Amino acid sequence: MKDVYRFADAVVAVESLYPAVHDYCRAYRFDGAPELTVRITPADLTAERQKSAAEDRAEGRAVRDFADDYLEILAVYRKLAEWAPLRETVLLHGSAVAVDGAAYLFTAKSGVGKSTHAALWQAAFGSRAVIINDDKPLLRITQDGVTVFGTPWDGKHRRSANCAAPLRALCILERAAQTQVIPISASQAMPLLLQQIYRPADPAALAATLRLLDRLTQTVPLYRMGCNMAPSAAVIAYEAMKG
Amino acid sequence: MKLKPSFIAYDTQDQSMLVPTGSAGFAGLVQGNRTLGAILSLLKTETTEAEVVAAMCARFDAPQAQIAQDVGRVLDALRGIGALDE
Repeated sequence: MKDVYRFADAVVAVESLYPAVHDYCRAYRFDGAPELTVRITPADLTAERQKSAAEDRAEGRAVRDFADDYLEILAVYRKLAEWAPLRETVLLHGSAVAVDGAAYLFTAKSGVGKSTHAALWQAAFGSRAVIINDDKPLLRITQDGVTVFGTPWDGKHRRSANCAAPLRALCILERAAQTQVIPISASQAMPLLLQQIYRPADPAALAATLRLLDRLTQTVPLYRMGCNMAPSAAVIAYEAMKG
Repeated sequence: MKLKPSFIAYDTQDQSMLVPTGSAGFAGLVQGNRTLGAILSLLKTETTEAEVVAAMCARFDAPQAQIAQDVGRVLDALRGIGALDE
């Protein structure tokens, strides 16, 4: 099964073993000549199964047994993320929300509440706010600026849109008793960003990722936010970061 | 010995890091000061522990025994995460 999609302005053909991935990506379907063909093999599914099992063991969970068509969805995202840095694009684990056409990206350690916070923005700003992607947005980082793109890989709540917006600010989210937003330096942000960015298996692609991360942190304002998840947190964050 | 290709030394303004690729088998980060950065830089090409200690002694004003101990500690940590080809 084969179809063509556009992710972060890149035209990508996906050749799959199962139909599910095409349904998953249908909002990104595109007619055009692909720059990349992602071809999934049974070995890719085996690798995904092994990776998932290793993560479960590392986190002390019972090993989950995922269906092949679900693993194929992960395998497509991984192949895309492996290739993306060579096209000035990275995948960063986080929740991206646009308000009035400018994007704000929240990243955090697992379980802190990125999705909860993004939902607060939607509640606070209504139709002015769009959740671009609630889990795995793509960032195109060029000399002209940083643009956040939606992807189909949008977390358990399946919140995303096939749209893009210039990145106004990047914020590291932490739980705190009171909401407070402070500017931070690239050095302060880097350890967490390196944990949350997709790190390719190919050393050349990782080196490209690190160069892009440098460019990102030099061009986009960085913040750390202690957040109590009260409804007012979204407005406080927006006022601090809108510039 | 030298760093495996699956680990990349990376410097920010005020810290040095060792970043593993997605296939390195180690998912964390190694962070440190410029001393770590200097050691990682030496490990980009084939070298020995004695050569690393000598290069660090030439660069930093500290007793050789202290430098040798610090280098040994860093190399042990790198071995522990499988970052060295030996």
